[in-house]
Amino acid sequence: MGGSMALGAADPLVAPIPGAPVLEARDVAVGYGGVRAVDGVSLAIRPGEVVGIIGPNGAGKSSFLGALGGQVKRSRGQILLGSRDVSQLPPHDRARLGLVRTFQTTSEFARMTVFENLVTAAEGDSGASLKAVILHPGRTHLREQELAQRAFGIMERFEMTHTADLYGRELSGGQRRLVEIMRCLVRHPRVLLLDEPMVGVAPHLTGKLIDDLRAIAAEGLGILVVEHALEVVRRLCDRVVVMAFGKVIAAGEFEEVVADPQVQAAYLS
Amino acid sequence: MGAWSFYITTLLVYFVVDALSAFSLNLQFGYAGVVNFGFIVFQAAGAYVAAVVTLGPSGPASFQQYILGSHLPFPLDLLAATLAGALLSFVVGLFALRRMRRDYQAAVLLIVSLIALQVVSADVPLFNGSNGLTGVTWPFGQLFGATATGSPYLYLGYAAVIGVLVCLGVIWLSRSPWGRSLRAMRDHEDAASAMGLNITSLRLQVFVLGGAIAGLSGGLLVEYIGAWSPGAWGYAETFVIFTAIFVGGVGNYRGVLVGTLLVPIIFLEIPRFLPAIGYPGLTDSLEWVVVGLAWMLCLLFRPRGIIPERRLKAARPASPLETAPAEGSA
Repeated sequence: MGGSMALGAADPLVAPIPGAPVLEARDVAVGYGGVRAVDGVSLAIRPGEVVGIIGPNGAGKSSFLGALGGQVKRSRGQILLGSRDVSQLPPHDRARLGLVRTFQTTSEFARMTVFENLVTAAEGDSGASLKAVILHPGRTHLREQELAQRAFGIMERFEMTHTADLYGRELSGGQRRLVEIMRCLVRHPRVLLLDEPMVGVAPHLTGKLIDDLRAIAAEGLGILVVEHALEVVRRLCDRVVVMAFGKVIAAGEFEEVVADPQVQAAYLS
Repeated sequence: MGAWSFYITTLLVYFVVDALSAFSLNLQFGYAGVVNFGFIVFQAAGAYVAAVVTLGPSGPASFQQYILGSHLPFPLDLLAATLAGALLSFVVGLFALRRMRRDYQAAVLLIVSLIALQVVSADVPLFNGSNGLTGVTWPFGQLFGATATGSPYLYLGYAAVIGVLVCLGVIWLSRSPWGRSLRAMRDHEDAASAMGLNITSLRLQVFVLGGAIAGLSGGLLVEYIGAWSPGAWGYAETFVIFTAIFVGGVGNYRGVLVGTLLVPIIFLEIPRFLPAIGYPGLTDSLEWVVVGLAWMLCLLFRPRGIIPERRLKAARPASPLETAPAEGSA
């Protein structure tokens, strides 16, 4: 596989550099009118690392994720994917370079089957363009077969093959979360941004999802996850960043961060 | 040719034109979620261009005034109509489809439709004002030594071949990966964009393609009826096509065909045979009531239409499944 679908690999600037961050945010700020939702947040994620962001409601966590993904406009700061500055790129170009995300409110394609949800994630490349579809039907057919194989491989991994032909709107909340994550993986991501991925996921599946995400990270992905459930953060994340009032107030390993008096005061008490 | 067979043939030509419109609008709205309330403008533009490129140049002494007059041979007349629809869609799409909410886009397109009607009616040297154009002939008919009204069967065959080919093309594109991208954009724009789809470009592509088909259908119609009048291309005509799609089934082309047969053909033609009631024009007005009621009843009792969008089942791959989802980034 790979070829036209492994888009991130095609850009030498986003190729992994040993030891260097796969994603770096430098002094990122987001403002809504007079409100500073994110105020100078810097953060780096290395390949294989899972970083968690916690903090009270309104701390700016989702806005920060939006700024990284390109859905929310930055007022200042820089975002680097590998050594490439993606700050000015629209969301679809960031995704094509390997920076993909899920949303706080589930964002499955409701009137498409789970299988279609997955394969659509690969449509951003030139193989699905109007030109390619009209001029190269043979290549399109081959590409479809490759994609189907990949999509079923990912569904198998998440034990979701039985839902392949169900519409997005027919799934449970937890299944919708899984579809979002599986959809991201179809894109061969370098960095995965997850906004509250465990909301709606049944408790007995949470442990499995944590294991799956850790296994995926171990394959070289950087994962940044916004999550409220501290037990999930403890088990899933290598490092934790605590945000409050748009700023980072603490960062480090889970145990030391939750013991920090400032974090206790702002979030945990 | 008897009056009845002429009437039936005319209805069938209308059906081909309406089916092309409905397929085009279904691709834009049913697949891509673009609420094109200005659809009729692009059809009218194609019809106008098909008319003037066959009428010949207009001089100061001509009984009708228009621009772009010429004598294009078959099939360049329809090609010109198609290009006109595409070009106008591209220009309108550049400002109407900017990144804003879909209901705002729909409002802008409706306003474009209203402004276009006013401009065309008011500016006589440009499009002959509200009188419109008459005497439009059919280049293909001249080729065979027959006029449009003299050979309706031939014209119906010609329109049907074009209609079937274009509709099959639309179905093929809808089922392609490109069509799948359109549905993803329709269902969740932010997520589609976060997966690498260029929403602005996709939306403009489907808008221009739909505009081209609208222009073609307009050209086919005007060369059959031989006249073009701005009054016949009001914004309400767009809603007839929307009603056809909703009644038949948004996103399902069989449904769209059924809706096309029901709404613009049966609902709007049957009242012609009913005895006149009330004051003159009341029956015509009631036709619009029927169209509106059909849409409302459909939304209330069968919101997905007579034949709903079909679930496309995935073909399971035969070879062993790949299990490492992130090998490209390792």
